[in-house]
Amino acid sequence: MAEMVRKSSVDEILNHWILAGSCILLMITGFAFLFHWEAVSSVFGGVNGMKTVHNYGGVVFSLSLLYSMRHYFKDALEYDADDVQWFKVAGGYLSHKVTVPPMGKYNPGQKLYYLAIVGAGIAIALSGFALWFMKDNASMLLLAHLVHNIAFIVFVIAVPVHVYLGTLANPGTFKLMVSGTLPLSEAKRRYPKWMKAAGKM
Amino acid sequence: MANDTTKNRKAILVTPEACIGCRACQVACKSWNQLPAIKTTNNGTYQNPPDLASAAFNIIQYNEVPSQENPVRWLFVSRRCMHCEDAGCMTICPSGALYRTAEGAVAYDRDKCIGCKLCVTACPFDVPRYDAENKVAKCNLCDDRITAGMQPACVKTCPTGALKYGDRDELISLAKKDGFNTIYGEKDLSGLGTIFAFKDEPKLYGMKENPTIPSSVVFWHTYLKPLSLFGLGGVVAAAAIHYLAIGPHKEKEEEV
Ligand code: HEM
Ligand code: SF4
Ligand code: SF4
Ligand code: SF4
Repeated sequence: MAEMVRKSSVDEILNHWILAGSCILLMITGFAFLFHWEAVSSVFGGVNGMKTVHNYGGVVFSLSLLYSMRHYFKDALEYDADDVQWFKVAGGYLSHKVTVPPMGKYNPGQKLYYLAIVGAGIAIALSGFALWFMKDNASMLLLAHLVHNIAFIVFVIAVPVHVYLGTLANPGTFKLMVSGTLPLSEAKRRYPKWMKAAGKM
Repeated sequence: MANDTTKNRKAILVTPEACIGCRACQVACKSWNQLPAIKTTNNGTYQNPPDLASAAFNIIQYNEVPSQENPVRWLFVSRRCMHCEDAGCMTICPSGALYRTAEGAVAYDRDKCIGCKLCVTACPFDVPRYDAENKVAKCNLCDDRITAGMQPACVKTCPTGALKYGDRDELISLAKKDGFNTIYGEKDLSGLGTIFAFKDEPKLYGMKENPTIPSSVVFWHTYLKPLSLFGLGGVVAAAAIHYLAIGPHKEKEEEV
Protein backbone atom coordinates (compact mmCIF):
# COMPACT_ATOMS: atom_id res chain seq x y z
CA MET A 1 0.00 0.00 0.00
CA ALA A 2 1.05 3.55 -0.72
CA GLU A 3 2.42 5.55 2.19
CA MET A 4 -0.29 7.74 3.75
CA VAL A 5 0.03 11.22 5.25
CA ARG A 6 -2.32 12.52 7.94
CA LYS A 7 -3.67 15.99 7.13
CA SER A 8 -6.44 16.23 9.73
CA SER A 9 -6.15 14.86 13.24
CA VAL A 10 -8.97 12.85 14.78
CA ASP A 11 -10.03 15.64 17.15
CA GLU A 12 -9.97 18.07 14.22
CA ILE A 13 -12.33 15.88 12.20
CA LEU A 14 -14.64 15.35 15.17
CA ASN A 15 -14.76 19.05 15.96
CA HIS A 16 -15.27 19.93 12.31
CA TRP A 17 -18.46 17.87 12.19
CA ILE A 18 -19.73 19.30 15.47
CA LEU A 19 -19.08 22.79 14.11
CA ALA A 20 -20.65 22.05 10.74
CA GLY A 21 -23.64 20.21 12.20
CA SER A 22 -24.45 22.90 14.76
CA CYS A 23 -23.91 25.65 12.20
CA ILE A 24 -26.27 24.11 9.66
CA LEU A 25 -28.86 23.44 12.36
CA LEU A 26 -28.58 27.08 13.44
CA MET A 27 -28.86 28.30 9.86
CA ILE A 28 -31.96 26.22 9.18
CA THR A 29 -33.68 27.25 12.41
CA GLY A 30 -32.49 30.83 11.87
CA PHE A 31 -34.13 30.89 8.44
CA ALA A 32 -37.25 29.40 9.99
CA PHE A 33 -37.36 32.31 12.49
CA LEU A 34 -36.81 34.86 9.76
CA PHE A 35 -39.52 33.58 7.44
CA HIS A 36 -41.83 31.84 9.95
CA TRP A 37 -41.37 28.44 8.28
CA GLU A 38 -43.84 26.28 10.19
CA ALA A 39 -42.74 23.15 8.32
CA VAL A 40 -39.39 23.52 10.13
CA SER A 41 -40.64 24.64 13.55
CA SER A 42 -43.13 21.78 13.69
CA VAL A 43 -40.18 19.35 13.52
CA PHE A 44 -39.13 20.74 16.90
CA GLY A 45 -42.66 20.56 18.31
CA GLY A 46 -43.38 24.24 17.68
CA VAL A 47 -41.55 27.50 17.66
CA ASN A 48 -40.75 27.36 21.40
CA GLY A 49 -39.01 24.02 20.97
CA MET A 50 -37.14 25.42 18.00
CA LYS A 51 -36.00 28.37 20.11
CA THR A 52 -34.56 26.00 22.72
CA VAL A 53 -32.77 24.00 20.02
CA HIS A 54 -31.45 27.18 18.41
CA ASN A 55 -30.21 28.59 21.72
CA TYR A 56 -28.42 25.45 22.92
CA GLY A 57 -27.21 24.77 19.38
CA GLY A 58 -25.64 28.21 19.69
CA VAL A 59 -23.77 27.12 22.81
CA VAL A 60 -22.38 24.04 21.02
CA PHE A 61 -21.44 26.13 17.98
CA SER A 62 -19.66 28.77 20.09
CA LEU A 63 -17.58 26.22 22.01
CA SER A 64 -16.76 24.32 18.84
CA LEU A 65 -15.71 27.52 17.09
CA LEU A 66 -13.33 28.37 19.92
CA TYR A 67 -11.86 24.87 19.86
CA SER A 68 -11.35 25.04 16.07
CA MET A 69 -8.92 27.91 16.54
CA ARG A 70 -6.21 25.52 17.72
CA HIS A 71 -6.39 23.76 14.36
CA TYR A 72 -6.58 26.61 11.87
CA PHE A 73 -5.98 29.99 13.44
CA LYS A 74 -2.18 30.15 13.18
CA ASP A 75 -2.12 29.01 9.54
CA ALA A 76 -4.90 31.46 8.66
CA LEU A 77 -2.76 34.43 9.68
CA GLU A 78 0.27 33.65 7.46
CA TYR A 79 0.41 34.73 3.83
CA ASP A 80 3.28 34.83 1.30
CA ALA A 81 3.97 35.84 -2.33
CA ASP A 82 2.51 32.55 -3.67
CA ASP A 83 -0.74 33.43 -1.93
CA VAL A 84 -0.87 36.74 -3.79
CA GLN A 85 -0.22 34.91 -7.06
CA TRP A 86 -2.96 32.40 -6.12
CA PHE A 87 -5.49 35.23 -6.11
CA LYS A 88 -4.21 36.50 -9.49
CA VAL A 89 -5.08 33.15 -11.06
CA ALA A 90 -8.26 32.88 -8.94
CA GLY A 91 -6.95 29.67 -7.46
CA GLY A 92 -7.31 27.99 -10.84
CA TYR A 93 -11.05 27.88 -10.40
CA LEU A 94 -11.93 30.03 -13.38
CA SER A 95 -9.70 28.28 -15.89
CA HIS A 96 -7.89 24.98 -15.95
CA LYS A 97 -5.14 26.42 -18.18
CA VAL A 98 -3.50 28.77 -15.68
CA THR A 99 -0.59 27.67 -13.51
CA VAL A 100 -1.49 27.67 -9.82
CA PRO A 101 1.49 28.49 -7.56
CA PRO A 102 2.64 25.83 -5.06
CA MET A 103 0.61 25.82 -1.86
CA GLY A 104 1.19 24.94 1.77
CA LYS A 105 -1.31 23.12 3.95
CA TYR A 106 -4.09 25.62 3.10
CA ASN A 107 -4.60 27.97 0.19
CA PRO A 108 -5.32 31.66 0.92
CA GLY A 109 -8.99 31.23 -0.01
CA GLN A 110 -9.35 28.65 2.74
CA LYS A 111 -7.44 30.84 5.19
CA LEU A 112 -9.61 33.88 4.51
CA TYR A 113 -12.71 31.71 4.71
CA TYR A 114 -11.64 30.61 8.17
CA LEU A 115 -11.05 34.19 9.30
CA ALA A 116 -14.49 35.19 7.97
CA ILE A 117 -16.11 32.36 9.93
CA VAL A 118 -14.22 33.29 13.09
CA GLY A 119 -15.16 36.97 12.72
CA ALA A 120 -18.79 36.40 11.81
CA GLY A 121 -18.95 33.50 14.28
CA ILE A 122 -17.84 35.63 17.20
CA ALA A 123 -20.27 38.38 16.13
CA ILE A 124 -23.21 35.99 15.74
CA ALA A 125 -22.42 34.20 19.02
CA LEU A 126 -22.03 37.36 21.11
CA SER A 127 -25.16 38.93 19.62
CA GLY A 128 -26.98 35.62 20.07
CA PHE A 129 -26.15 35.53 23.76
CA ALA A 130 -27.23 39.16 24.04
CA LEU A 131 -30.59 38.28 22.40
CA TRP A 132 -30.91 35.45 24.84
CA PHE A 133 -29.85 37.04 28.11
CA MET A 134 -30.17 40.83 27.74
CA LYS A 135 -33.85 41.04 26.86
CA ASP A 136 -34.55 43.87 29.24
CA ASN A 137 -32.14 46.28 27.60
CA ALA A 138 -34.03 47.48 24.53
CA SER A 139 -31.18 49.30 22.78
CA MET A 140 -28.83 46.36 23.34
CA LEU A 141 -31.49 44.04 21.96
CA LEU A 142 -31.90 46.12 18.80
CA LEU A 143 -28.13 46.24 18.25
CA ALA A 144 -27.82 42.50 18.84
CA HIS A 145 -30.67 41.84 16.43
CA LEU A 146 -28.90 43.86 13.71
CA VAL A 147 -25.47 42.29 14.32
CA HIS A 148 -26.95 38.78 14.46
CA ASN A 149 -28.59 39.27 11.08
CA ILE A 150 -25.58 40.90 9.39
CA ALA A 151 -23.35 38.05 10.53
CA PHE A 152 -25.99 35.64 9.27
CA ILE A 153 -25.50 37.04 5.73
CA VAL A 154 -21.80 36.12 5.94
CA PHE A 155 -22.76 32.57 6.88
CA VAL A 156 -25.38 32.04 4.16
CA ILE A 157 -22.83 33.10 1.54
CA ALA A 158 -19.59 31.64 2.90
CA VAL A 159 -20.82 28.25 4.12
CA PRO A 160 -22.30 26.96 0.84
CA VAL A 161 -19.18 28.10 -1.07
CA HIS A 162 -17.07 26.13 1.40
CA VAL A 163 -19.30 23.05 1.06
CA TYR A 164 -19.12 23.19 -2.74
CA LEU A 165 -15.33 23.61 -2.79
CA GLY A 166 -14.90 20.83 -0.25
CA THR A 167 -16.99 18.35 -2.20
CA LEU A 168 -17.98 18.63 -5.88
CA ALA A 169 -15.42 21.22 -6.95
CA ASN A 170 -12.41 19.33 -5.59
CA PRO A 171 -12.89 15.58 -5.90
CA GLY A 172 -11.03 13.71 -3.19
CA THR A 173 -11.07 16.55 -0.68
CA PHE A 174 -14.06 15.28 1.27
CA LYS A 175 -12.21 12.22 2.56
CA LEU A 176 -9.85 14.57 4.44
CA MET A 177 -12.76 15.21 6.77
CA VAL A 178 -13.59 11.50 7.06
CA SER A 179 -10.35 9.58 7.37
CA GLY A 180 -8.05 12.58 7.54
CA THR A 181 -5.35 10.94 5.48
CA LEU A 182 -4.20 10.97 1.84
CA PRO A 183 -1.48 9.16 -0.14
CA LEU A 184 1.96 10.76 0.11
CA SER A 185 2.19 11.18 -3.67
CA GLU A 186 -1.04 13.14 -3.72
CA ALA A 187 0.04 15.26 -0.76
CA LYS A 188 3.27 16.14 -2.55
CA ARG A 189 1.33 17.23 -5.60
CA ARG A 190 -1.32 19.26 -3.77
CA TYR A 191 0.56 20.68 -0.77
CA PRO A 192 4.25 20.82 -1.84
CA LYS A 193 5.27 23.56 0.58
CA TRP A 194 3.66 21.76 3.53
CA MET A 195 5.40 18.50 2.58
CA LYS A 196 8.73 20.32 2.24
CA ALA A 197 8.30 21.88 5.68
CA ALA A 198 7.51 18.43 7.05
CA GLY A 199 10.71 17.03 5.52
CA LYS A 200 8.89 14.63 3.21
CA MET A 201 10.06 16.28 0.00
CA MET B 1 -43.03 47.99 4.82
CA ALA B 2 -46.81 47.88 4.51
CA ASN B 3 -48.36 44.76 5.88
CA ASP B 4 -51.30 43.28 4.01
CA THR B 5 -53.86 46.02 3.95
CA THR B 6 -57.36 45.03 4.91
CA LYS B 7 -60.38 46.42 3.17
CA ASN B 8 -63.12 47.50 5.55
CA ARG B 9 -60.51 48.14 8.18
CA LYS B 10 -62.00 48.65 11.62
CA ALA B 11 -60.72 51.07 14.24
CA ILE B 12 -61.27 52.50 17.69
CA LEU B 13 -61.78 56.24 17.67
CA VAL B 14 -60.75 57.95 20.90
CA THR B 15 -62.16 61.42 21.50
CA PRO B 16 -60.17 62.66 24.49
CA GLU B 17 -62.33 65.80 24.78
CA ALA B 18 -65.32 63.61 25.64
CA CYS B 19 -63.46 61.48 28.20
CA ILE B 20 -64.34 62.10 31.85
CA GLY B 21 -61.56 59.91 33.22
CA CYS B 22 -63.92 57.42 34.83
CA ARG B 23 -61.71 54.46 33.85
CA ALA B 24 -64.67 52.20 33.20
CA CYS B 25 -62.73 51.10 30.10
CA GLN B 26 -59.82 49.93 32.26
CA VAL B 27 -62.16 47.91 34.43
CA ALA B 28 -64.07 46.45 31.48
CA CYS B 29 -60.86 45.35 29.80
CA LYS B 30 -59.59 43.68 32.95
CA SER B 31 -62.91 41.99 33.51
CA TRP B 32 -63.26 40.65 29.95
CA ASN B 33 -59.65 39.52 29.72
CA GLN B 34 -59.63 38.19 33.31
CA LEU B 35 -56.58 40.21 34.28
CA PRO B 36 -55.58 40.45 37.95
CA ALA B 37 -55.46 43.72 39.88
CA ILE B 38 -52.12 45.47 40.20
CA LYS B 39 -50.94 46.80 43.54
CA THR B 40 -49.75 50.38 43.12
CA THR B 41 -48.82 53.28 45.36
CA ASN B 42 -49.92 56.89 45.16
CA ASN B 43 -47.35 58.72 43.10
CA GLY B 44 -49.02 62.11 43.06
CA THR B 45 -51.39 61.62 40.14
CA TYR B 46 -54.75 59.99 39.59
CA GLN B 47 -53.26 57.96 36.77
CA ASN B 48 -53.42 54.41 37.98
CA PRO B 49 -51.83 52.01 37.21
CA PRO B 50 -48.95 54.31 36.26
CA ASP B 51 -48.24 52.58 32.94
CA LEU B 52 -49.41 49.79 30.65
CA ALA B 53 -48.69 46.37 32.16
CA SER B 54 -49.18 42.71 31.37
CA ALA B 55 -52.38 43.02 33.41
CA ALA B 56 -53.34 46.47 32.04
CA PHE B 57 -53.94 46.58 28.30
CA ASN B 58 -55.33 50.10 28.44
CA ILE B 59 -54.90 53.02 30.81
CA ILE B 60 -56.24 56.51 31.01
CA GLN B 61 -53.33 58.87 30.91
CA TYR B 62 -53.94 61.91 33.14
CA ASN B 63 -52.13 64.85 31.61
CA GLU B 64 -52.01 67.93 33.79
CA VAL B 65 -51.48 71.02 31.64
CA PRO B 66 -51.60 74.64 32.87
CA SER B 67 -54.03 76.91 31.05
CA GLN B 68 -54.95 80.61 31.14
CA GLU B 69 -58.15 80.11 33.12
CA ASN B 70 -57.00 77.41 35.50
CA PRO B 71 -53.76 76.39 37.17
CA VAL B 72 -54.24 72.96 35.64
CA ARG B 73 -56.24 71.54 32.82
CA TRP B 74 -56.85 67.82 33.07
CA LEU B 75 -56.53 66.08 29.74
CA PHE B 76 -57.44 62.40 29.57
CA VAL B 77 -56.21 60.08 26.84
CA SER B 78 -56.86 56.39 26.54
CA ARG B 79 -53.56 54.66 25.86
CA ARG B 80 -53.41 51.17 24.38
CA CYS B 81 -52.02 49.33 21.34
CA MET B 82 -52.35 51.44 18.21
CA HIS B 83 -52.88 48.49 15.84
CA CYS B 84 -50.51 50.11 13.35
CA GLU B 85 -50.75 49.32 9.66
CA ASP B 86 -46.93 49.28 9.57
CA ALA B 87 -46.62 47.36 12.81
CA GLY B 88 -43.01 47.21 14.00
CA CYS B 89 -43.91 44.50 16.49
CA MET B 90 -45.26 42.19 13.79
CA THR B 91 -42.38 42.93 11.45
CA ILE B 92 -39.69 41.92 13.93
CA CYS B 93 -41.45 39.00 15.65
CA PRO B 94 -39.36 35.86 14.90
CA SER B 95 -42.04 33.41 15.98
CA GLY B 96 -45.05 34.60 13.99
CA ALA B 97 -46.96 34.98 17.26
CA LEU B 98 -48.18 38.46 16.32
CA TYR B 99 -50.63 38.51 13.43
CA ARG B 100 -53.11 40.71 11.63
CA THR B 101 -56.80 39.98 12.09
CA ALA B 102 -59.45 40.28 9.38
CA GLU B 103 -60.44 43.66 10.88
CA GLY B 104 -56.87 44.94 10.57
CA ALA B 105 -55.98 44.68 14.27
CA VAL B 106 -52.69 43.24 15.57
CA ALA B 107 -53.51 40.24 17.75
CA TYR B 108 -51.28 37.45 19.07
CA ASP B 109 -51.09 33.75 19.65
CA ARG B 110 -49.76 33.43 23.19
CA ASP B 111 -48.63 29.81 22.72
CA LYS B 112 -46.37 30.73 19.82
CA CYS B 113 -44.61 33.60 21.61
CA ILE B 114 -41.02 32.69 22.53
CA GLY B 115 -40.63 35.64 24.88
CA CYS B 116 -37.75 37.20 22.97
CA LYS B 117 -39.04 40.71 23.77
CA LEU B 118 -38.06 41.99 20.36
CA CYS B 119 -41.56 43.36 19.69
CA VAL B 120 -41.33 46.10 22.31
CA THR B 121 -38.01 47.29 20.88
CA ALA B 122 -39.65 47.76 17.47
CA CYS B 123 -42.88 49.33 18.75
CA PRO B 124 -42.93 53.13 18.36
CA PHE B 125 -45.41 53.41 21.24
CA ASP B 126 -43.79 51.17 23.88
CA VAL B 127 -46.88 48.97 24.06
CA PRO B 128 -46.07 45.22 24.39
CA ARG B 129 -45.67 43.94 27.94
CA TYR B 130 -44.69 40.46 29.17
CA ASP B 131 -46.39 38.30 31.77
CA ALA B 132 -44.86 36.08 34.42
CA GLU B 133 -43.98 33.48 31.78
CA ASN B 134 -42.37 36.09 29.55
CA LYS B 135 -45.20 35.87 27.03
CA VAL B 136 -46.42 38.94 25.18
CA ALA B 137 -49.49 40.70 26.58
CA LYS B 138 -51.31 43.66 25.05
CA CYS B 139 -54.63 44.87 23.66
CA ASN B 140 -55.79 42.61 20.82
CA LEU B 141 -58.79 44.80 19.95
CA CYS B 142 -60.94 42.19 21.66
CA ASP B 143 -60.51 39.85 18.73
CA ASP B 144 -62.59 37.20 20.47
CA ARG B 145 -65.52 39.57 21.02
CA ILE B 146 -65.36 41.03 17.54
CA THR B 147 -65.42 37.66 15.81
CA ALA B 148 -68.49 36.90 17.95
CA GLY B 149 -70.16 40.05 16.64
CA MET B 150 -69.72 42.14 19.81
CA GLN B 151 -68.03 45.48 20.41
CA PRO B 152 -64.70 45.69 22.25
CA ALA B 153 -65.31 45.59 26.01
CA CYS B 154 -63.81 49.02 26.63
CA VAL B 155 -65.96 50.63 23.91
CA LYS B 156 -69.09 48.89 25.08
CA THR B 157 -68.71 50.23 28.58
CA CYS B 158 -67.66 53.79 27.80
CA PRO B 159 -70.50 56.04 29.07
CA THR B 160 -69.65 59.17 27.06
CA GLY B 161 -68.80 57.99 23.59
CA ALA B 162 -65.15 58.89 24.06
CA LEU B 163 -64.42 55.42 22.69
CA LYS B 164 -66.13 54.35 19.48
CA TYR B 165 -65.59 51.23 17.40
CA GLY B 166 -66.45 50.89 13.75
CA ASP B 167 -65.42 51.25 10.15
CA ARG B 168 -62.19 53.25 10.14
CA ASP B 169 -63.02 55.53 7.22
CA GLU B 170 -66.48 56.27 8.59
CA LEU B 171 -65.13 57.11 12.04
CA ILE B 172 -62.64 59.54 10.50
CA SER B 173 -65.19 61.37 8.39
CA LEU B 174 -67.64 61.55 11.31
CA ALA B 175 -64.99 63.05 13.57
CA LYS B 176 -64.04 65.61 10.92
CA LYS B 177 -67.68 66.54 10.45
CA ASP B 178 -67.91 67.15 14.19
CA GLY B 179 -65.14 69.72 13.90
CA PHE B 180 -62.14 67.70 15.01
CA ASN B 181 -59.50 68.95 12.62
CA THR B 182 -56.65 66.73 13.71
CA ILE B 183 -57.06 62.97 13.52
CA TYR B 184 -53.97 61.54 15.18
CA GLY B 185 -53.03 58.30 13.44
CA GLU B 186 -54.86 58.99 10.18
CA LYS B 187 -51.61 58.76 8.20
CA ASP B 188 -48.91 57.80 10.72
CA LEU B 189 -47.29 54.41 10.03
CA SER B 190 -49.61 54.04 7.02
CA GLY B 191 -52.55 54.58 9.34
CA LEU B 192 -53.20 53.50 12.91
CA GLY B 193 -56.07 51.30 14.02
CA THR B 194 -56.49 53.39 17.16
CA ILE B 195 -57.17 56.95 16.08
CA PHE B 196 -57.66 60.09 18.14
CA ALA B 197 -59.86 63.11 17.40
CA PHE B 198 -58.39 66.42 18.57
CA LYS B 199 -59.20 70.08 18.33
CA ASP B 200 -56.02 71.04 20.21
CA GLU B 201 -52.48 70.04 19.39
CA PRO B 202 -52.04 66.26 19.99
CA LYS B 203 -48.73 67.13 21.66
CA LEU B 204 -50.66 68.79 24.48
CA TYR B 205 -52.15 65.39 25.27
CA GLY B 206 -48.74 63.74 25.32
CA MET B 207 -49.16 62.11 21.91
CA LYS B 208 -45.91 61.09 20.26
CA GLU B 209 -44.96 63.25 17.28
CA ASN B 210 -43.95 61.44 14.08
CA PRO B 211 -43.89 57.88 15.43
CA THR B 212 -41.42 55.72 13.49
CA ILE B 213 -40.13 52.17 13.56
CA PRO B 214 -36.40 52.07 14.55
CA SER B 215 -34.26 52.49 11.44
CA SER B 216 -32.25 49.32 12.12
CA VAL B 217 -35.48 47.32 11.99
CA VAL B 218 -36.51 48.96 8.72
CA PHE B 219 -33.04 48.30 7.26
CA TRP B 220 -33.12 44.68 8.40
CA HIS B 221 -36.59 44.11 7.01
CA THR B 222 -35.99 45.82 3.64
CA TYR B 223 -32.46 44.61 2.88
CA LEU B 224 -31.02 41.97 5.20
CA LYS B 225 -33.97 39.61 5.21
CA PRO B 226 -34.28 39.32 1.42
CA LEU B 227 -30.48 39.32 1.07
CA SER B 228 -30.21 36.20 3.22
CA LEU B 229 -32.41 34.21 0.86
CA PHE B 230 -31.05 35.70 -2.38
CA GLY B 231 -27.49 35.33 -1.08
CA LEU B 232 -27.98 31.63 -0.42
CA GLY B 233 -29.81 31.10 -3.71
CA GLY B 234 -27.19 33.09 -5.61
CA VAL B 235 -24.33 31.04 -4.22
CA VAL B 236 -26.04 27.75 -4.97
CA ALA B 237 -26.79 28.91 -8.52
CA ALA B 238 -23.22 30.16 -9.01
CA ALA B 239 -21.84 26.81 -7.80
CA ALA B 240 -24.08 24.92 -10.23
CA ILE B 241 -23.04 27.15 -13.13
CA HIS B 242 -19.38 26.80 -12.18
CA TYR B 243 -19.69 23.04 -12.04
CA LEU B 244 -21.30 22.85 -15.46
CA ALA B 245 -19.38 25.61 -17.28
CA ILE B 246 -15.88 25.20 -15.85
CA GLY B 247 -16.00 21.95 -14.00
CA PRO B 248 -14.23 20.53 -10.98
CA HIS B 249 -10.53 20.75 -10.33
CA LYS B 250 -8.39 18.34 -12.37
CA GLU B 251 -5.06 16.99 -11.22
CA LYS B 252 -2.26 18.02 -13.56
CA GLU B 253 0.98 16.08 -13.41
CA GLU B 254 3.10 19.11 -14.26
CA GLU B 255 1.90 20.80 -11.07
CA VAL B 256 4.42 18.80 -9.05
C1 HEM C 1 -24.12 29.89 12.81
C2 HEM C 1 -24.65 30.42 13.87
C3 HEM C 1 -26.02 31.09 13.94
C4 HEM C 1 -26.91 31.38 12.96
C5 HEM C 1 -26.75 31.07 11.50
C6 HEM C 1 -28.03 32.06 13.56
C7 HEM C 1 -29.13 32.56 12.88
C8 HEM C 1 -30.22 33.18 13.46
C9 HEM C 1 -31.28 33.82 12.75
C10 HEM C 1 -31.36 34.01 11.26
C11 HEM C 1 -32.19 34.26 13.66
C12 HEM C 1 -33.51 34.97 13.40
C13 HEM C 1 -33.25 36.43 13.49
C14 HEM C 1 -34.46 37.21 13.69
O1 HEM C 1 -35.52 36.92 13.15
O2 HEM C 1 -34.33 38.16 14.44
C15 HEM C 1 -31.68 33.96 14.96
C16 HEM C 1 -32.30 34.28 16.16
C17 HEM C 1 -31.71 34.11 17.39
N1 HEM C 1 -30.47 33.55 17.66
FE1 HEM C 1 -29.18 32.84 16.30
N2 HEM C 1 -27.83 32.13 14.91
C18 HEM C 1 -26.61 31.56 15.18
C19 HEM C 1 -25.99 31.45 16.39
C20 HEM C 1 -26.57 31.83 17.58
C21 HEM C 1 -25.91 31.73 18.84
C22 HEM C 1 -24.47 31.27 19.03
C23 HEM C 1 -26.81 32.15 19.77
C24 HEM C 1 -26.61 32.24 21.26
C25 HEM C 1 -26.69 31.23 22.03
C26 HEM C 1 -28.03 32.53 19.09
C27 HEM C 1 -29.17 33.04 19.68
C28 HEM C 1 -30.27 33.53 19.01
C29 HEM C 1 -31.41 34.10 19.64
C30 HEM C 1 -31.60 34.29 21.14
C31 HEM C 1 -32.32 34.48 18.62
C32 HEM C 1 -33.68 35.17 18.78
C33 HEM C 1 -34.76 34.18 18.67
C34 HEM C 1 -34.67 33.21 19.78
O3 HEM C 1 -34.80 33.63 20.94
O4 HEM C 1 -34.45 32.05 19.48
N3 HEM C 1 -27.85 32.32 17.76
N4 HEM C 1 -30.48 33.30 14.82
S1 SF4 D 1 -48.65 50.06 18.83
FE1 SF4 D 1 -46.85 48.77 19.04
S2 SF4 D 1 -47.67 46.81 19.68
FE2 SF4 D 1 -49.41 47.96 18.82
S3 SF4 D 1 -49.45 47.38 16.64
FE3 SF4 D 1 -48.20 49.24 16.79
S4 SF4 D 1 -46.11 48.42 16.94
FE4 SF4 D 1 -47.47 46.74 17.46
S1 SF4 E 1 -41.84 38.44 22.55
FE1 SF4 E 1 -43.27 37.03 21.55
S2 SF4 E 1 -44.68 38.31 20.38
FE2 SF4 E 1 -42.90 39.59 20.94
S3 SF4 E 1 -41.52 39.44 19.17
FE3 SF4 E 1 -40.88 37.83 20.61
S4 SF4 E 1 -42.01 36.01 19.97
FE4 SF4 E 1 -43.01 37.76 18.98
S1 SF4 F 1 -60.15 46.57 22.81
FE1 SF4 F 1 -60.39 44.94 24.32
S2 SF4 F 1 -58.29 44.33 24.81
FE2 SF4 F 1 -58.18 46.33 23.82
S3 SF4 F 1 -58.22 47.82 25.49
FE3 SF4 F 1 -60.35 47.54 24.81
S4 SF4 F 1 -61.15 45.97 26.17
FE4 SF4 F 1 -58.92 45.87 26.33
